[in-house]
Amino acid sequence: MLRSLISGLVLAFAGSRANISRTILSCAGIVVGVGALIAVVTAGHVGQTYAKAYGEANTGVAATYEVTSPAPVDDVEAFEEDMLRAGGEAVALQQPLDSAGIQLRQGTSVFKDPTVFYTDPSLSDIRRMNLVEGRWFTEADKGSLAPVVVLSENLAEQLDPSGGYADLQIGNSEWLRARVAGVVEGTAMDDWGGSGTVYLMRSPATEEMAFPAGIGAADEMGMGLTYRVRVSPDGSPGEEAFTERLAGTSWRWGPQADTEMLIVFRADSFEEIEEVLGYLSLGLFGIAGITLTTGMLGVLNVGLVTVRERRRELATYRALGADRFAMFVVVVAEAVVVSVVAGLIALLGCYGIAGGVQAFVGDMLPAGVSVTVPLQGVLVGLGSAAAVGLLAGVIPAWRALRTSVVAGLRE
Amino acid sequence: MGAAGARRARRAGGEPPAAPPGPLLRISGLTKGFPVDGERIQVLSGCSLEIDRGEVVAIVGQSGSGKSTLLNMVGLLDTADGGEHVFNGVDVTRLGEAGRARLRNTGIGFVFQSFHLLERRTALANVSVPLVLNGMPLIRRRALARELLESVGLGHRLGSRPHQLSGGEQQRVALARALSLNPPLILADEPTGALDAATSSAVLDQLISQARKRNAAVVIVTHDPLVAEAADRRITIREGKTFEEP
Ligand SMILES: Nc1ncnc2c1ncn2[C@@H]1O[C@H](COP(=O)(O)OP(=O)(O)O)[C@@H](O)[C@H]1O
Ligand SMILES: [Mg+2]
Repeated sequence: MLRSLISGLVLAFAGSRANISRTILSCAGIVVGVGALIAVVTAGHVGQTYAKAYGEANTGVAATYEVTSPAPVDDVEAFEEDMLRAGGEAVALQQPLDSAGIQLRQGTSVFKDPTVFYTDPSLSDIRRMNLVEGRWFTEADKGSLAPVVVLSENLAEQLDPSGGYADLQIGNSEWLRARVAGVVEGTAMDDWGGSGTVYLMRSPATEEMAFPAGIGAADEMGMGLTYRVRVSPDGSPGEEAFTERLAGTSWRWGPQADTEMLIVFRADSFEEIEEVLGYLSLGLFGIAGITLTTGMLGVLNVGLVTVRERRRELATYRALGADRFAMFVVVVAEAVVVSVVAGLIALLGCYGIAGGVQAFVGDMLPAGVSVTVPLQGVLVGLGSAAAVGLLAGVIPAWRALRTSVVAGLRE
Repeated sequence: MGAAGARRARRAGGEPPAAPPGPLLRISGLTKGFPVDGERIQVLSGCSLEIDRGEVVAIVGQSGSGKSTLLNMVGLLDTADGGEHVFNGVDVTRLGEAGRARLRNTGIGFVFQSFHLLERRTALANVSVPLVLNGMPLIRRRALARELLESVGLGHRLGSRPHQLSGGEQQRVALARALSLNPPLILADEPTGALDAATSSAVLDQLISQARKRNAAVVIVTHDPLVAEAADRRITIREGKTFEEP
């Protein structure tokens, strides 16, 4: 059995090499079909990494809540502790500041348009901060007497970077020398006006500048502070449970706050992405499947035609000692060899195309996203090629076995 | 030949295992018919044949007398309707398809009138086919196939494909292939039928001398009286039966 298998494979391989035209003829359909399949997997993968990278940079990893506190919060520290107790794994303030109150100045130029967020080092544990230069905040920055900022790339480009953005100042009527820790890729969500984002780190030195009325006090609209809270990736505890637990301890941090005003909602877009991509790839897989089936029918057809032509060849094999199983393996394995070769050609083609697309649009993609054929694309492509070859080989093989040796030799 | 014997033979480099006692081939009362238009045409109605190791036997008879039919059964390419058939100590009527294939591979070498070489395959690859089917590793089968082609005078045509070879050369490739696993029996159905007279006798000489060198028996189906003359014995088929010629 094993010997028949091995010798069948050896003869099949030699056969496909010797009959190149037959091989190429059967290949064409499979190349297109497998190519389409690999392209679909690749597109899905790129789409998913893109959406994930975009979502993680803009809103947060799975799963992230946006929490707006009721006002006033008397003990901000206690409120933040309680968010961790209620199921948060990481908590960061992400408070947009009144742009009339906080501006940037360098030399004689004043930048009043940037969106300014008052935030914590832990924000980078919740959102993917794609640093272009320098670093994100650390706890050590809390000791800095100067305000520490991270700038978005498009804002940094408008500034003079010499001497580490020397003489960059932050404030309004009173100006403080700002220290730039790093530059980060801008995100659409944070850059409302399109003129850049400033992340200002929460520290004792800046608290008064950011919250003249005191942190935790109600703003003009009666709203409190805005936070990003990372919970477990599966989304537990749910928004309601989290809200309930947090509201239950309001006596600790804000006995006068109206807990009805506590707003918690899921901010990350993970679930939507999954759903959309699911529908999308279902459709694309359908198309690839149809193409592949067409390719398979091509291989099947060529297989059937050649088996008729090859009766003499196959009878010769049998006269020389091939049993039925070895013959079966020869015919099936030739179809598989042909299909896998076609699959490899398709794979190379897809690598080429992906490389071309990457060279073209690579610069426009967010960090961590590139157009490449993923491993599952390789596996799905070659696996389906082999499966198609197997399917397309079985019927001709069965046909080939029905002829008697003597009849085959007489042809 | 049992499986263990065959394995030992392979390990020893293709040498045949110790021969079982008795004649190499014993056939008696063999019958064979074919269905034609709903009726059964009896082609062979009681053939008997006994062949010893190393013997050269010619089978003669009119066209359509059943020579090829008999040879196909001797070669285990077809099954008889009835009769006894023992080859090399094995009752082949009791063998299954795989067993018969195995026995064809190691026990019988074929030389066909129309050569039956694989097109588009080199001489070396053609000679290698029985070796592949026997499970011989690549390096050994290449060396052996080359040696065999050299022994039939084709050492310079290893890479040639059938269409690049003359009829006589093609038949010598087929002979090398038939000899490749050192079978105790070589069957040749009108091996020179497609060749001119001069080439015929050269190929035939080579067939018989190579077989004698290896102590292999040869059964040749032929029309040619000269060929029949070169054989040790002559057997005629007439009206579905075998007759020993003096
Ligand atoms: N598969 C078959 N079906 C029907 N008749 C056959 C078949 N094979 C051989 N025959 C018949 O058997 C007879 C003997 O054929 P064959 O053995 O080829 O003769 P020979 O080789 O002696 O010329 C012929 O009449 C032939 O027509
Ligand atoms: Mg004949």
